[in-house]
Amino acid sequence: MRRFYRMAKCLYIFIVLLCFHVRGQVDSIQIIRQVNVSTFMALLKEKSYNLVIDREDIETLQPTDIGDLLRKTPGANLKSYGGLGGLKTISMRGLGANHSSMVVDGVPLNNSQTGQVNLGQLIVDNVEQLTSSIGLNSNFLIPVSAQISGSNFMIKTMENSFSSDTLTIRANFGYGSFGQTKGYIGVKFNPNKFFVSAFGSRQQAEGNYNYSIVNGCFPLNETRKNNNYLDHNYGVSGGVKLKKGTWKIGYHRKSIRQELPGAVIYYNETADEKLETDSDRLFTDFKWRANKLYARVFFNGTIEKQRYFDPTYLNVAGQIDNTYTNRNLNGGVSFMRYFRQWSMFGGVEETVSDLVVNDSLFAKPIRLHTYAMLGVRYNHPLFCLTGQASSQYVYEQDKNGGDSKERVRFNPFLSLKTRELGEGLQLELWYRNSFRVPSFNELYYTNIGNVNLLPEDAHQINMGFLWLLQGDKFNFDLKSNIFVNHVKNKIVAVPTKNLFIWSMQNVGRTNTFGGELKLEAKYKTRNHWAFVLNTNYTYQKTVDVTDPSSPTYLHQIAYIPEHTVNTDLTLMFRRTGVRISNYVVSKRYALNENILANELEGFFLMDASIFHTFRVGSSQSLKLIGNVKNALNSSYAYIRSYIMPGINYSISLSYAFN
Amino acid sequence: MRLISLVFVLILVVSCIKDKPKPVPLSGVLSNGVVVLCEGLFQQNNTSLSWVGNDGSISNTLFATKSGRQLGDTGNDIKRYGAKVYVVVNVSSTVEVIDANTFNPIKQISMQSGGVPKQPRSIDFYNGKAYVTCYDGYVDVIDTVSLAVIERIPVGLNPEGLTVSGSKLYVSNSGGLNTPVMDSTLSVIDLNSNTEIQKITVGLNPGRCITDDEGDVYVVARGDYAGVSSKMIRINTVSDNVVNSFDLGVSGITKMNDKFLISNYDFSSGQSSLALFDPVLDVVVNSSYIDVSGFTTLYGVGFNPYTNTLFISDAMGFTNSGYVYEYSSLGTQISSAHVGLNPSKFLFYE
Repeated sequence: MRRFYRMAKCLYIFIVLLCFHVRGQVDSIQIIRQVNVSTFMALLKEKSYNLVIDREDIETLQPTDIGDLLRKTPGANLKSYGGLGGLKTISMRGLGANHSSMVVDGVPLNNSQTGQVNLGQLIVDNVEQLTSSIGLNSNFLIPVSAQISGSNFMIKTMENSFSSDTLTIRANFGYGSFGQTKGYIGVKFNPNKFFVSAFGSRQQAEGNYNYSIVNGCFPLNETRKNNNYLDHNYGVSGGVKLKKGTWKIGYHRKSIRQELPGAVIYYNETADEKLETDSDRLFTDFKWRANKLYARVFFNGTIEKQRYFDPTYLNVAGQIDNTYTNRNLNGGVSFMRYFRQWSMFGGVEETVSDLVVNDSLFAKPIRLHTYAMLGVRYNHPLFCLTGQASSQYVYEQDKNGGDSKERVRFNPFLSLKTRELGEGLQLELWYRNSFRVPSFNELYYTNIGNVNLLPEDAHQINMGFLWLLQGDKFNFDLKSNIFVNHVKNKIVAVPTKNLFIWSMQNVGRTNTFGGELKLEAKYKTRNHWAFVLNTNYTYQKTVDVTDPSSPTYLHQIAYIPEHTVNTDLTLMFRRTGVRISNYVVSKRYALNENILANELEGFFLMDASIFHTFRVGSSQSLKLIGNVKNALNSSYAYIRSYIMPGINYSISLSYAFN
Repeated sequence: MRLISLVFVLILVVSCIKDKPKPVPLSGVLSNGVVVLCEGLFQQNNTSLSWVGNDGSISNTLFATKSGRQLGDTGNDIKRYGAKVYVVVNVSSTVEVIDANTFNPIKQISMQSGGVPKQPRSIDFYNGKAYVTCYDGYVDVIDTVSLAVIERIPVGLNPEGLTVSGSKLYVSNSGGLNTPVMDSTLSVIDLNSNTEIQKITVGLNPGRCITDDEGDVYVVARGDYAGVSSKMIRINTVSDNVVNSFDLGVSGITKMNDKFLISNYDFSSGQSSLALFDPVLDVVVNSSYIDVSGFTTLYGVGFNPYTNTLFISDAMGFTNSGYVYEYSSLGTQISSAHVGLNPSKFLFYE
């Protein structure tokens, strides 16, 4: 009873304080009421909690891939198996990487075989903007699958967007340590009504990087072997402006030949596995607008073929030579309609995918995945309330036999976002329920797969604020979030047949409590100096709550650090700049049991770059960038036994026409 | 009141100290205890050796303390021959040779052939030679004086367990890396000529082998963990024929005086059991010799002939650090020790 009284008292005080605060805003309310809806929407969008990385950032950071960029997102946890093209995934706020979706130019990238996109195989040279979003994405025309996933990453490329310039050219050439060379060129011709574009890139690395590791008392300095890498990416796109909309179409091809160095095993440096990836993607996108109605239709077809080759496997054949062909056909419709202070949005999406393997014992799964979503937004001058309900229907069948499976899920999302409560201050509260279906590998992979897996469910609650101050010479942007997540039916691998045969099971429940703090500050002087600080800190306590009698109960989940810090400092004088990027990851555990033997040391990475931009006329620029990665030569690993490179250098030249 | 609190805290601290393991005398000669091989996990480089003394002392870093380095990845077997201990490390593809008394390392034998890891699995000895099954289809012969591989004997696919009976070596060919079409044979090697003289079909996926006091060999055929169940097969080593087959859940056999301890962990149900088997009568004497139903994952079983006690390990689901429990021959738990990851084999010291 006393507890109830205390709670009631706290609630009363909160309401009284809120009322006082609201009264203090009366004047601004009256002004805001005059703001039309579209301006209001723009304001909300502008002051979003999303992380946005633009081309200028990408040029100075010289990341090797998208994974390198996304690790800067608050709440992100990068898992990297090292090397160029090596498997890189990002998980947000303790949810697995499969809870995030990747959207390129408004079209989702699908991989039903693994359920996740290898960020290490996505090039960055053509990226104009990268947005990381968790919670409400105010762009309601993005694919439904992305809108209702746990988090989403949006990429906008140069070659697949309309621009104001008739001709746009981008080129980037680089040379770096470990025999790394890369070249990219993209050209877009964009007269008034249409555009056509083409791009091509090539990247190569010997990957024989030096690393250091301590075995007991003995420091070992070794060189990574079997780590050659070669990729080619190219594509063509076109678009036309119609009377009330736009239509775009494009084709991309990716071809990767890579060796797999594997884990660093003490006393055994042999490695000879290889992976070949060929992917073809055809996509089209139609946007239409009529008065207050916006609509969008997209189609996307992807065929990705992977050949895994182990020439010395100790079976009868003496090798493994498997080819996996994953085909995805995906299409969707989205709409948004404004009604004064109300807006309605929604859409449907369908994905048909299958997997064909040149192993007669492997299943031949086919999946139909239907998404549907309907949402409303109420724009009050004081706040913005968004509600969203989604349903998903998944039908699956193994064409080699076995029962078909059907899964249906309904997921809600609710968001309350305030208009400015004080000068530049905005609050947000949201709840999301989402799930991810098991991948084909988790369901059907020989020995490992488990056809009875249930989807992994996630509940997320977030409370955040955003504070923006702007002056003549400075910008100050502070964002913070506190979040609580719960995951049930977590899909994990456990030994189910013997110690060497692990299989996927729904055995886990995890709770996450965390917080993020992000600060952006810009300051310009009159004598051409500029200072930019981007920093963020993430605290994540993601613990196992599966079984109170387990030794891992309430222990931090493997490979999730409690503390992550990103700090980027840029100092510019006219067209010359220096950028220093710091990345700190606290200790993690290689297994869920938080004992000393499982500890993986935290690490501190410092990258530094120096750059100068040469202007040629008003429309051309040439940027020369020198970059040092891991400048302190830290020995570190995201995953135990997958040691990352020591200090390495690169120099690159970027050209831009418009 | 303060005094009472202080006394209470002191009692608490003293009682905590009493519960802690005693410091481990790792200098000098090892005696009165057991070395536990903790396999670790694949690609984690965390194989370790634990020392559990009869006096309650525990060290989970025995090898690292003595050598200043780690054993490597996925230790699979440990045995003593004369004054040396041999540790077979599968993924690192090495055999570590250690002084049996001081536990100081003597030599690390690299087990690679033409740049390809042989993936050694198990070891046994005969007449000054160590025989090591290698997953690449051979049994390597190591001279225990020069500590060099002197010969390779071709056998079946992915040889696993081995045991010596008389002047013959019996090697189980698991074919485990050719799943689901696994091997079913036991190779018989004449140790005078070091050549395979026969293959006996015993059952799918043969693993652990053991020789009884009469010289007969027992081998575990593990099946395919699905439709084909595990069983134990008896081989007459004079005629080299299968003479008996026992349909029982079995994952390991351990010799205890003239009896066998039959251990089983059922991966699908998560149930553990430990039975007593009489190889003279060929019957299970007691199907629940030690109550291990409370184990999370029964893994290793050993019999200490010096104290006449049993050591049983719990691998705790294979991803958590394990426990070793000591039982009297009557089934009473005597002690327990918290050790490394996946404790599987024991080496006893008097």
